[in-house]
Amino acid sequence: MAIKQRHFAAPLWLALGILCATHAARADEQPQDWLNRMAVAVQSTSYEGTVIRIKDGSAEALKVVHTVIDGVVMEKVVAQEGNGLEIIRNGNEVHCILPDRKSVLVEEWDNQSTLFSTLPSSDVRFGSEYDLSIVREDRIAGREALLLAIRPHDAYRYGHRIWLDMETGFPLQTQLISDGNAIEQVKFADISLNQEIHASALQPSMNTENFTWLRQPAAHQSTDVETDWQSDQLPAGFRAVSTHQETMQGSDEIVTHILFSDGLANVSVFVAANSGQLVSGPARVGGSNSYSVESGDFEITAIGEVPAMTVEQIATTMRRP
Amino acid sequence: MNDAIRMQVSAFVDGELPENEAELLLRRMSQDAELRQAVADYLAIGRLIRGEHGIAAADRMHARVAAAIEQQEHPEVTDTVVDSVSKVRAARPLAGAAIAAAVAVVAIFALQQNTAMDDGAVTTPVSVATEVVPSVDAQQERNRQFFLNHAETSSELGANGMNSRVVTLRFSEELTEEPDAEENDVTDESDEAPTQP
Repeated sequence: MAIKQRHFAAPLWLALGILCATHAARADEQPQDWLNRMAVAVQSTSYEGTVIRIKDGSAEALKVVHTVIDGVVMEKVVAQEGNGLEIIRNGNEVHCILPDRKSVLVEEWDNQSTLFSTLPSSDVRFGSEYDLSIVREDRIAGREALLLAIRPHDAYRYGHRIWLDMETGFPLQTQLISDGNAIEQVKFADISLNQEIHASALQPSMNTENFTWLRQPAAHQSTDVETDWQSDQLPAGFRAVSTHQETMQGSDEIVTHILFSDGLANVSVFVAANSGQLVSGPARVGGSNSYSVESGDFEITAIGEVPAMTVEQIATTMRRP
Repeated sequence: MNDAIRMQVSAFVDGELPENEAELLLRRMSQDAELRQAVADYLAIGRLIRGEHGIAAADRMHARVAAAIEQQEHPEVTDTVVDSVSKVRAARPLAGAAIAAAVAVVAIFALQQNTAMDDGAVTTPVSVATEVVPSVDAQQERNRQFFLNHAETSSELGANGMNSRVVTLRFSEELTEEPDAEENDVTDESDEAPTQP
């Protein structure tokens, strides 16, 4: 009997040993390695679960299913509040189903962004504006996780906390941090990773045959251009990474769009002809801060997921030599 | 919902619930709409106490959706060109001002529109129940388009923030006035010194 027990115990200890070695190896990885793993995980991991999002006095739950089949992103998001809105993505085509209105809106998404778009991978440098560190191990949604902190050196940008699944690198929880406080939190309450996802899980929960179908027009048109607009007090670490001319939707108006980035935070500056109707000052839009100001014959609007002072400083210091 | 749960929710909102209990509460929230509403209510109460506007995201989303559908149902009052195409399942273009409202349905989350946030002014508290959906004026519409263009370009750059997709979805939902806020509603822990696990 004792021999039998040892017989069974050997592979068990071997498995435990491998598990511990793997765990130790992963824990020894550098923070940037973990971000790289996360970048891969959000693109390649199949998952199904419930996301809770807390911000600005609201707590909302979403059921999400995500998988990639033959390189095509398939996603289903169902709001658990309100009218049961469903968003179903099949590659670039997205259907927004409104059960109570018996309507389906069809959109085209021409990029590979997913519910959890990736943070910068190794080819995007943070520069010297942030510290990236491993804080501690934790447990999220019943899974072992590693908490990474991205701390800015100044008040011109937000910080991030990211809890990555120890096994896969998938982000189980994220927080956007301002002055040490989480101003936005997205967290999986439950999740299953890399389980087989049946095709039916990605189908609408209702028959939409008799619904009204509406198509959203294609995204804005843009052309790469060069511009001599620049900020003479750009916050440290930011640099212009692209400049486009874009046609505003629903009109012939053309604006110049300059994107500034510090490698993590992005701020767009839009330069348009002065309409004489600009409401100058700060605003919040889509969870981002914006600041609009007149500058001679032009209207300048800066917008980005950065503190209000950052967009204000950039908008008010845009100059053309 | 019993008193124990209520106390848990209150502690959770105040960031005072131990991590393991918060974990359980979040799990429960994922299954329990009433509990989610309770948490939202507590958060809203906190904002009202601080003189901030409350948010009723779902209601406003419905309003926006209703506006889109209304325009679809009464094309003569707008320049919208929409037909009912249900029988053939073919989608027609949606044009003009209706687009702004239609995009709203993509939204799951709340959007805050703030016109006076730099002075830290505290506005008169308003009841969530009496909150009115403001009309979408030209400036808001411009900002909306700017935001979407910003989100799209950031995404193409590949250096977009973690939540940009979520934010993009959120954006489309609402336009409402929101005062400057100390956005401290989320349960949180202070930054810890980095350690190697």
